[in-house]
Parts: sequence; structure tokens; C-alpha cells
Amino acid sequence: MAILDGKVPGGTIEQIWDDHKFHMKLVNPANKRKHKVIVVGTGLAGASAAASLGELGYNVSAFCVHESPRRAHSVAAQGGINSAKNYKNDGDSVYRLFYDTVKGGDFRAREANVYRLAQVSTQIIDHCVAQGVPLAREYGGLLSNRSFGGAQVSRTFYARGQTGQQLLIGAYQAMMRQVDKGQVKLFNRREMLDLVVVNGQARGIVVRNLATGAIESHEADAVILATGGYSNVFFLSTNAMACAVTGAWRAYKRGAYFANPCFTQIHPTCIPVSGELQSKLTLMSESLRNDGRVWVPKTKGDKRPANQIPDSERDYYLERVYPSFGNLAPRDVASRQAKYRVDEGLGVGPTGKAVYLDFRDAIQRLGKKAVQEKYGNLFEMYEKITGENPYETPMRMYPAPHYTMGGLWVDYNLMSNIPGLFVAGEANFSDHGANRLGASALMQGLADGYFVVPYTISNYIASTKIEKVATTHDAFKEAENNVRAQITQLMGIKGNRSVDSFHKQLGHIMWEYCGMARNEKGLTAALTEIPKLRDEFWQNVRIPGDANYVNTELEKANRVADFLEQGELMCLDALERKESCGGHFRDEYQTPDGEAMRDDANFCHVAAWEWGGTANKKPTRHTEELKFENVKLATRSYK
Amino acid sequence: MATANTMEKPFFLTSIGKKYLMGLTGLVWSGFVLGHMAGNLLMFYSADAYNKYGHAITSGAMIYAIETVLVLCLITHVVCAISLTLENRAARGHQRYAMTPNGSKGATLASRTMAIQGSVILAFVILHIATFKYGTYYETTVDGVVMRDLHRLLIEVFQQPGYVVWYLIALVFLGFHLSHGVGSLFQSFGLKNNANEKLIQRLGWAYGLIVAAGFLAQPIYCFVRGA
Amino acid sequence: MGGTHSQNINLKLKVWRQKSAKDQGAFVEYDAPNVSTDASFLEMLDQVNEKLVQAGQEPIVFDHDCREGICGSCGFMINGNAHGPQKHTTVCQLHMRQFKDGETLVLEPWRAKAFPVIKDLMVDREAFDRVIKSGGYISVDTGNAQDANNIPVPKPDADEAFASATCIGCGACVASCKNASAMLFVGAKVSHLALLPQGQVERAERVHRMVTQMDAEGFGACTTTGACSAACPKGISLSNIARMNRELLVGTLTKKEAAEGDGI
Repeated sequence: MAILDGKVPGGTIEQIWDDHKFHMKLVNPANKRKHKVIVVGTGLAGASAAASLGELGYNVSAFCVHESPRRAHSVAAQGGINSAKNYKNDGDSVYRLFYDTVKGGDFRAREANVYRLAQVSTQIIDHCVAQGVPLAREYGGLLSNRSFGGAQVSRTFYARGQTGQQLLIGAYQAMMRQVDKGQVKLFNRREMLDLVVVNGQARGIVVRNLATGAIESHEADAVILATGGYSNVFFLSTNAMACAVTGAWRAYKRGAYFANPCFTQIHPTCIPVSGELQSKLTLMSESLRNDGRVWVPKTKGDKRPANQIPDSERDYYLERVYPSFGNLAPRDVASRQAKYRVDEGLGVGPTGKAVYLDFRDAIQRLGKKAVQEKYGNLFEMYEKITGENPYETPMRMYPAPHYTMGGLWVDYNLMSNIPGLFVAGEANFSDHGANRLGASALMQGLADGYFVVPYTISNYIASTKIEKVATTHDAFKEAENNVRAQITQLMGIKGNRSVDSFHKQLGHIMWEYCGMARNEKGLTAALTEIPKLRDEFWQNVRIPGDANYVNTELEKANRVADFLEQGELMCLDALERKESCGGHFRDEYQTPDGEAMRDDANFCHVAAWEWGGTANKKPTRHTEELKFENVKLATRSYK
Repeated sequence: MATANTMEKPFFLTSIGKKYLMGLTGLVWSGFVLGHMAGNLLMFYSADAYNKYGHAITSGAMIYAIETVLVLCLITHVVCAISLTLENRAARGHQRYAMTPNGSKGATLASRTMAIQGSVILAFVILHIATFKYGTYYETTVDGVVMRDLHRLLIEVFQQPGYVVWYLIALVFLGFHLSHGVGSLFQSFGLKNNANEKLIQRLGWAYGLIVAAGFLAQPIYCFVRGA
Repeated sequence: MGGTHSQNINLKLKVWRQKSAKDQGAFVEYDAPNVSTDASFLEMLDQVNEKLVQAGQEPIVFDHDCREGICGSCGFMINGNAHGPQKHTTVCQLHMRQFKDGETLVLEPWRAKAFPVIKDLMVDREAFDRVIKSGGYISVDTGNAQDANNIPVPKPDADEAFASATCIGCGACVASCKNASAMLFVGAKVSHLALLPQGQVERAERVHRMVTQMDAEGFGACTTTGACSAACPKGISLSNIARMNRELLVGTLTKKEAAEGDGI
């Protein structure tokens, strides 16, 4: 076990990033084109990084699993993006955004990173508007804002319920402009299946071409992973079907540390599970909590239709428990309260696993038209899925896995412990601590890609001796063989069970034991069940067809094989973190009124895991101490 | 857009440029058929008025200019139509759908069959010119001027049931073609927007209906009177 | 979910199976028994595929990802309709309560020369990326921007630009057009950028380059049937095509040529 260094430069929090930018080395414009950078993933972080590095003059190769970069899952983000613009004159500032994010993350994020995030948040909005992203506007022609969970100011910029789509298309278009200029080469339908490390430096990747089945090697001077999060370890989550831990996990197996894997976010407002055949869960934007009121009946087993339950028999529990934040309590808090109500037997709907999100009062106050203007597309989506009209009956909601704060460990420069391997966006662990605030994921993805990585990668290239490497190097051959061997092994099993059936079973284990609440007994049980399931997978999975063309079952098998290892690490991390913080809630560590109880004396650190060499060997837990010099460690209170 | 990897196509060679040409030439013909139809209605006033009108527009040099413009427009319209239709067929690919859009996602019949309508109308125009412009030459004298008695030819032709049926069919096609064409014109010229969309659609239908009905009044009247 | 109204139905599927781009392809019939009306169309196909896999057969391949109707990955023809019978819906958001017990559904891939079939219901829509690459952007490098509120945009313009920008690039417009025309897709992008003050500088050149690329990809022309807009899951309006036509004409008439050797 080692103590990790986050390499935060010295200075006051307000000055660190500016000073660092000045001290970082630069690459001469004429030399930039001699350097190649690989970007894996084309969501907000990946596309913005590829575009910015292309603009700087680097030769960029961008990879995405989709047919087009515009399909990356950032596209699905609904609610908005935070920025400390203080356009509302309501007391916002860079410092307040920094403060809210550190507190919202329950003091498990690196202060300097969060401050930088808040600092560049204003540039992001400027840049996106310049790109033509059609953010919502007021009648005067200026930008509009709304409030979001965990904050008492209105700092969220949005584009109806499709903010992620609009920002992603902005980044995608910026990247396609560089593709047109020949600065970025686009490799679509490619899935990264290995990281190539030469002389201790990340020097390339091995991918499978999903359209042809070919295994290809690509070399570069540096590699950026922007491969997203791992919520799909739960099988049912709000993530898209292709979201996987695979990119990050293969890097982990090459020596990159995986930090805080147990920090997962369960989003409070998702459409509840309906049946065993369901393939995914659909999130309904947190912005709905601006006007919707969350409640359950006061009496158990009250089967009356929602509209027939009078106010006096409703428990608006978020307003009751958290009077100052009310329905806008942070996600982890709101999710846990919903779970408590359901556990108490007060849940609603056919399964009893849901709470109401009610717009009756908002419609009365604002009129149906105003509500439609704000949330029309979300209401339509809800109706399509459930067949119920939310203008007439309250929505039924239940928490669902949504975002993962954990990810590959990176230092202040967003570089992992493998030199030359940078990690951006949800794939890294850095800025959200143990809980992410709403509208902060889009902010972080774009901050990393547009404004952080382009600087730090130049510094790395300028200050590091990087030798010439070709894809004929032994390390590439070894990695290719490694990938081919796994595919051959998977195809050769010819067992009796589909990949999905294993994935679902893993999802059940993870949700049961490592979901909204965790405890030692459950986690210990999971740690015996997961390896068993993994063994069965490797003996009994069935993948029809062959590996030399499109094979969607093989794609899934590669991803599930990694989830079956990573799920175990999540449980291990959750077991070792003997405290509750943010999204990580241990039953054993709670206050009398059911709030998370941190243990700052023993766990005010990042846990970064090192792969043990094989799946059955215990990984090593390293730590990075977290210091809070600006936001004083305190118990979070939203009351 | 610093690099121009793609050479920009000359405007009238782009698919949109061709649509502008079709629209412009279609507009000329739409105007012509409306005027033609209005002139025809003189028949209901008197045979002499009708013949005088015919004489007036065919004597003098203007007729050659007008005919030239009309023929050029027709050729351009047809050539663009053939070129676009071939390109559109090729764009569809060799494998056809087993089923086509229907229900609320289906397109109107008029819009889907413009090329067929156009072909029928072209055949009609040729036959129509052969029948009337180059048909039997009767003479009459009106107000002391010797002129062609088109009115007599008209009555003769439209007492043959075959002709009347053929006109009926062709003019219904013309009505449909105009209804979609006039509406599309606004679209092709970029004049349509969400606010005027419904109005333009109605205008198209009204235009097609008025022209077709006006033209049809003649053969039907002649046929019924003869019977 | 639909709670009280949930029931199970039985369907017959006629699905286009095609091993690769070179393969001929043909319809194959499948039974889809016991489908919950609460399931989405793709979940119904998951259920059929699960059985195929267990029987050692290759599952029906289709593109899909977010299953929330926003990524634009999914899409195929159901009984001749792009994304099925329901308006403003992608197949992933189409739920089985839209169908009746005992129905036969014919599933075909998008068919267009510019969208070659890769396998079964999966097609290659890279042509769309190449159209965007040819000018569907505003040229602004990172770090150049002035304060966002220095450029006020009248709300009606912003709203209309947003409506055009909601296009998800699924290709239903091309698939449902008898001419396989991409004008709704291209028109939406041209409109989005032409409506905003930020998009003015490159306005003329952008539309000309994008239209040239659109033609080069082998998409057909618009005959204003309106099938594209009817099939569009985002309800993108035909007026976007009108605007593109106008932009091209006006752009052609007003375009300024750059001086020789500028920018050096």
C-alpha cells in the first residue's frame, strides 16, 4: 500500500490553476503536428478534447463504439449544465459553486480540482454559445437559468430537456470541423479492448472493429480515455446499452489505479421497474423537482388513486425532513428518503416500489401551458413509457443507478499513474467526491475536454522523453494476442446461457448488496457470489455466430466479462470503506435520523486500487489523503 | 470553413437548383393554364366572342414569343423532372421496401405520383395541340373579319364521348398536379414557413380545383348540350 | 408499468435477415409470444433474441443504445412506417400497447443507396457524418469566446433554432422518403445555424458545401411529399427544407469570394 500524490501545485486555491498554466511547458506550434494523441470515447469529454487538441495542431485519432460520435451517451443528459456566471444576481460565484460541489460530494473530492472546475465553468458557457448551442433564453434575448438539486442559486443553463444533446452536438460539430481539416481522424464502431504500455508509458490501444471483427492496433504519444461510467454493472440503469467499464477496466488491468469504485449515484427520479424483461431504466430530469412535489400516502396500503388522497393524508416527506432545501435536496439524500418510504411500506403503484412526483400544484399555480413549456418533452416521454398522463395523475418515480463518481485515479493534471494515460469525464474519479450534484456532469466533461486536458497534455509531451514506437512493437503484438485469446476463449465456450442472463444476475447481486444501502453482511455475501457467477460465465456462456463480422453477443460478452470483475472490486471497496458518505451508505454508519455518518479520522482519503494480476488475487488498496483547507469539514445538512 | 475539400457544385446543378428550375417553369405553366382556362370561359358568353379572342391571340408576333417561352419551359420542366426522377430512383437503391409508409405517416397520393401525372399531362398537351392547333380548319366571319371558327371545332370534338372521357381524366390529373405543384413551389422557393404552411396547402388545392373545373366546364357543357 | 392495463399479446414477425452488405437477404418469420404491452418494441426483440441465442442461432441485429429516443441509433421500418405507427416516436420508445394481439409485423432496415445494410436491420449512416463534416458547424476555436450574454438572441429565433437542432440523426427521414432524400436532416442543420447570429459569417458557404456533399452521397431530391416530417421522431418541420432552399439561393446570389492568398 502506498500513499498517492495528487500533484496539486502549491498556492492559494484561487491561484493554483492560473499559476500552473503559466508554469506548464508548451509545445511549439510547428512541433505539435509531429505528435499524435489517441482519444477513446466521443462523448462530451472525448469530443471536446479531440476538437480542442485538433485546433491546437495535434494529430488526433478519435475512437467511438458507435456508428457516429453523436450517439455517445452524453446525448441523453436532460436537465442542464452548471456555471458560476451569476447572471441571476442571486449570490453565485466561482467560490460558491466550488463550495457547493465539495459539500455536495460529501468531502471526498480533491479541493483544487473542484475549484478549477468552478473556474472554467464560465468559459464553457461562453464557448458553447459561440458554437451555436441553442441554450434557453428569456424574452430579452439573454440566457435563462433554473435551479437544480443541492444548490440555493439558479446557475443551471439548459436547452429544454435536451441539454446533453445540444452540448454534445456542439462538441461533435467542433470535432467534425477538425475531421474536415484533417486534424482529427475518426474511427467509428471501434471498441477499445486493451491499453498498450511501452517502457512504462501509455503508447496506444488495441481495438476491435465492430463492423468487421478486425483487431487493430493504434499508436500515439499519449492516450486519453473518455469512456464514461460503469452504472451498467447494475444491468438496469439509466445508462445506454453500450455503456461499459471495458475501456477503463482494460487500462486498470494494465496497471492504472481504479479509485473509489463504490461511489455510485442512484438518481432519485426514474421511471420505476415494471418487469423482468425490462432492458433499461429511464431517468426523468431532476429539474422536475423544481416544480413537482414528492410525496407518499401517510397510511400503509392506501390503494386509492393519487388524486383521491387529500393533502392531509399525504406525506410530502422531502419538504418535511429538509425544510430549507425541500424537494431540491441532493440526489443521494432524495434517493435514500424514497427508499426509506418504500421500506416502510408506503410505496405506491402496482409494485409498491415508487413514490409520487406531483405537478398538480404547479399546474394550478403556473397554468398547464407554462408547465408544458418547461417540461413538455419529459411528460410526453413519461406517457409513452407508462401510458399515463402526468398532467392528470402524478408521476411514479423510484431511484435508479445513474452515474459513477468513481473511476480511474488521476492526478491534478488528469493523468493516471501510468504516464501518458489521461482520463477525462465520468471515466475519471476526480471532481464529484462521493456524490455528484445535478447539472455538474456536463460541466465536468466539457471542462476536462475543452479547458484542462489540452493544457496538461502539452505539458506532458513537452517535458517527457517519448521514443518512437510502431504498432509492430512487441507490446502491441502481445496486447493484440491477449485480445484475440480472450475472444477465442469466449467463442469457444458454447455453453447454455446468454450473456444477458449473466448480466441480469450480476445486476441483481449488485443492486441487492451494493445499491442504495450497503452492509458488511451483504457485501461479504456478494464477494462470494460474484466470483462464482464469473466462473460460471467462463464455463457456460453461449455466443452464437463468429467473431469475424458484426457479433453483438460477443460485444456484450466482452463488456460483461469486465463487469463481473469490476463488480467485485466495487463490493470490496464498499466493504473496506467503513463509513457512510454521499452515495455510499453503510447501514452500520448512520446518524439516529438516518443520515450518512462520515468518518473523517479514518476515511478522509481516496481509495485507489491496483490490479492483483489475476481476477482471483486481491487487489492492493492505495490511498490519497484529502485535505480540506478552504471548505471546512462539516456534517452535511440540507435541513 | 478554411478547407474546401468538396468543390461546391454550380447552383443549377444541385438537387435544389433543379427544383428551382422546375418551380420556375412550373410557375410559368401554372399562370398560362389559368389564363387559358379564363379565355376558354368566353365560350359561355358567345361563339363570336370566343372566336374573336382566339383570333386576337394567334394573330400578331407575340404568339411566337409566348410559344417559345412555353416550349422552353416545358422542355426544362420535363428534362429536370426526368433527371431528378432518375436520381431519386437511384437514391432509393436496388432493394425495394415490401411495404410503404401508411396511416398518419403516409404521404398524399398527389405528392407520390407527380411523375406519373406529369407523363399523362405531357401526352395530353401533345394531343391537345394536335387536335386544336393543327386540327380541322373551319372559317367564320365575325364583324367583317375572316377568322378560324374554333368554336365549331370545339363543339364537334366534345360531342365524341371518347374525347370527353380522356379530357376528364387528363384534367383531373392536371388539377392534382397543380395542387401539389403550386404548394411545392412555395416550398422549393423557400417561401413556406410554419405560419403559412396550411394556407399554402389550401391555396394549392384551390388553384388546382379552379383550373381543372374551369377547363372541364367546356367539354361537359358541349357534350351535354349535344346530347 | 401501465399498471392496471398491462396485458400480454402474441405477435408474428417477418424480419429482414441479411448476413452482410454483400448478402442477398430475405424475410424470416418468427413468433413473439407472450409480449407484455408494457414492453418497448426493442425489449420485445430482446425477448425474441434471447430465445434465438438459447437455440444457438444468431440474434436479429439492430442498432440501439440509449433507449430513451435521443441518441438516434435505433430505427427500422415496421409495416412500412419508419419507427412504427406512432408519431414522434423512435422504436425504442414505441411500446407494445400500440399493437393488437395476433398482428403480423414486417420489419425492414432503412433502405437507401446512401445507407447500405451492414447486417439485418443495421445500416451504415456515416453519410450523415460526412454531410456535417462538410460545413455543419460554426468555426470557433476553444478559448475565443466572448461573454455568452454579449450576443442576445431573440427568443423566437432561439426557440426555432432549438427546434431544428433537436434532430437526432436517426435517418427516418431518408428511409421514409420515396426519393431517399436527406433534405430534412440537412435542412435542419442549415436552419439551426442560419437562425443564430453566431452562424451568420459562414452562412452562404455552409449551405452550399453541405448541399454539394448531400448530393455527392447519393441522396435524392425533395418532392415535398412530407413523408420525412411525418416519420420524424422529433417532428422536424418541412419548413427547414424551405429555409435551406432559400439559404442556397440567397447564398449563391450574395456569396463573397475570399481574396487570393488571404489568411497568410
